[in-house]
Amino acid sequence: MSRPALLPLGLGLLLALLASGGAASLLWPEARVMDTPRLLSLAGSHARLAVIGAGIGIVLGVALGLLVTRSLGAPWRRPVDSLAAAAQAVPPMVAVALALPGFGFGAAPTVIALVLYGLMPVLRGTIGAVEAVPRAALDAALAIGLTPAQILRQVEWPLVWPLLLPALRSAVTLAMATAAVGALAGAATLGTPIVIGLQMQNEAMLFQGAAATAALAFLADGAMLLAAGFQSRGALPDRR
Amino acid sequence: MAAMIRFAGISVNFGDGAGLRDIDLDVPEGALCVLVGTSGAGKSTLMRLVNRLVVPSAGTVTLAGKDIATRDPVELRRGIGYAIQSVGLFPHRTVAENIAIIPALLGWEKRRITERTDALMTMLQLDPALAGRYPHALSGGQAQRVGLARALAADPAVLLMDEPFGAVDPIVRRALRRELAAIHRETGKTILLVTHDAEEALELATLLVVMREGRILAQGSPLELTAMAADPFVRELLGGAGLPLRRLDLLHVRDAVRPGEPEAMAPEIDADASQLDALRLMLEHGATSLVVTEAGSAVGALRFADLDGRGRT
Ligand SMILES: Nc1ncnc2c1ncn2[C@@H]1O[C@H](COP(=O)(O)OP(=O)(O)OP(=O)(O)O)[C@@H](O)[C@H]1O
Ligand SMILES: [Mg+2]
Repeated sequence: MSRPALLPLGLGLLLALLASGGAASLLWPEARVMDTPRLLSLAGSHARLAVIGAGIGIVLGVALGLLVTRSLGAPWRRPVDSLAAAAQAVPPMVAVALALPGFGFGAAPTVIALVLYGLMPVLRGTIGAVEAVPRAALDAALAIGLTPAQILRQVEWPLVWPLLLPALRSAVTLAMATAAVGALAGAATLGTPIVIGLQMQNEAMLFQGAAATAALAFLADGAMLLAAGFQSRGALPDRR
Repeated sequence: MAAMIRFAGISVNFGDGAGLRDIDLDVPEGALCVLVGTSGAGKSTLMRLVNRLVVPSAGTVTLAGKDIATRDPVELRRGIGYAIQSVGLFPHRTVAENIAIIPALLGWEKRRITERTDALMTMLQLDPALAGRYPHALSGGQAQRVGLARALAADPAVLLMDEPFGAVDPIVRRALRRELAAIHRETGKTILLVTHDAEEALELATLLVVMREGRILAQGSPLELTAMAADPFVRELLGGAGLPLRRLDLLHVRDAVRPGEPEAMAPEIDADASQLDALRLMLEHGATSLVVTEAGSAVGALRFADLDGRGRT
């Protein structure tokens, strides 16, 4: 078990416990609290939205990153980079609001906001990782007769993906934390108890939503760290 | 002899005057052609024309009689070995996998690949225990041997080597040089080699090409280029004040021997030794002539005045 994963996993479990209906009614004896089964079902759909949003953002970011680092894609690099930066500059709440008229209430605007928000770190991470591939290895690969596709598949990608893991981890963690805004568009997420709490001035529910969201983010982070720990055991110690 | 590689009327234009101009060069089949010249002279550029990493702005490069511009670059490159100073091993592949990359792409059988890899590692004196290592755990000299093995793996008829022995100590460098000479002797490959080491160039070259500012300044055998008449820049590049000695190293005692009796008590030297060895022997013994022997029996004499062909008329 990799050590760095213990902290986020522990924090996540602690926060999840605090968010549960039982703990909340102990803390706020006279308030109405959200019961645990309802909270769990919201957590489920919250996590699903976050994973879909982050997943699309990751696939899109990696694909665009690989595309603009090809010689043919090079002219697109600046525009794509500025677009991704602009996308990230839009606060998720605004993105949800902007997507509402076009996509209606529910999951779609949330996913769109998450994709936009996660795109840039992944794109930048991919470009950085591709650029870290040793020049001499690429030169040699071309010179000894690998096709561009073979260079990408056999030389660049195996060296790029291990470097992408930190960017993927932060993309997933960010999405887990950010998916709460979906509640504004009526998506069932852990933002729902927050919105209800705000409307009804119910601190207990507010706390439950916030703690459960944070718990999910921590748990996701811990899980990603664990996965990264497993992969790095098989991977290379360093590169030239 | 047929030209294996022919550069005809080649110019390469990189802008701001850099590149190559008016290059005409025939590299005969089986030659070991060494390119020397100051930094930026265009040696690497000339070499990279052969596998189409550089495209000429004028002229043609022919390989085995065929214009390379008409060939598929990928297929062309797989038939040309390429070893460079920076080596460029693939960091995520083991030594054996690095060596096997082209055979694997060519779809060789697994067993044949293993045999070839093992044979190359033996030939380049790489410890078999290194086969499973990753490049980051190799010394500079080992990495360069692996790079050379990779270049040789698919048994290409032509080998391009751009300062392949940089970054190793002089002793390893000499060993690698001997290995290269042996490979050349045994396989008859056509080799294009760039080096900054004049001694290495003179020792290895069957054809020596001196470049300066994008042009070929002189080409010929080491003996031709070290002759007194050669261009002063060429002489400077090939050894300066030490040139006469390097030249003696290229000449054999056999070619300067004359019949007749040497002085009494003269030291003996084999006819196959270099004239530099003869000079060393003379200095050591304070002699001005040597007994030349062949298979143990005297065949004539070598006088100081005959060194470097000066005795002949
Ligand atoms: N791709 C390129 N684009 C622009 N200029 C280039 C390119 N490749 C080489 N040059 C220039 O062409 C000239 C010759 O370069 P080249 O690398 O062939 O020199 P070289 O003789 O191999 O030098 P060195 O001994 O330092 O390796 C240099 O002025 C170099 O800056
Ligand atoms: Mg060079």
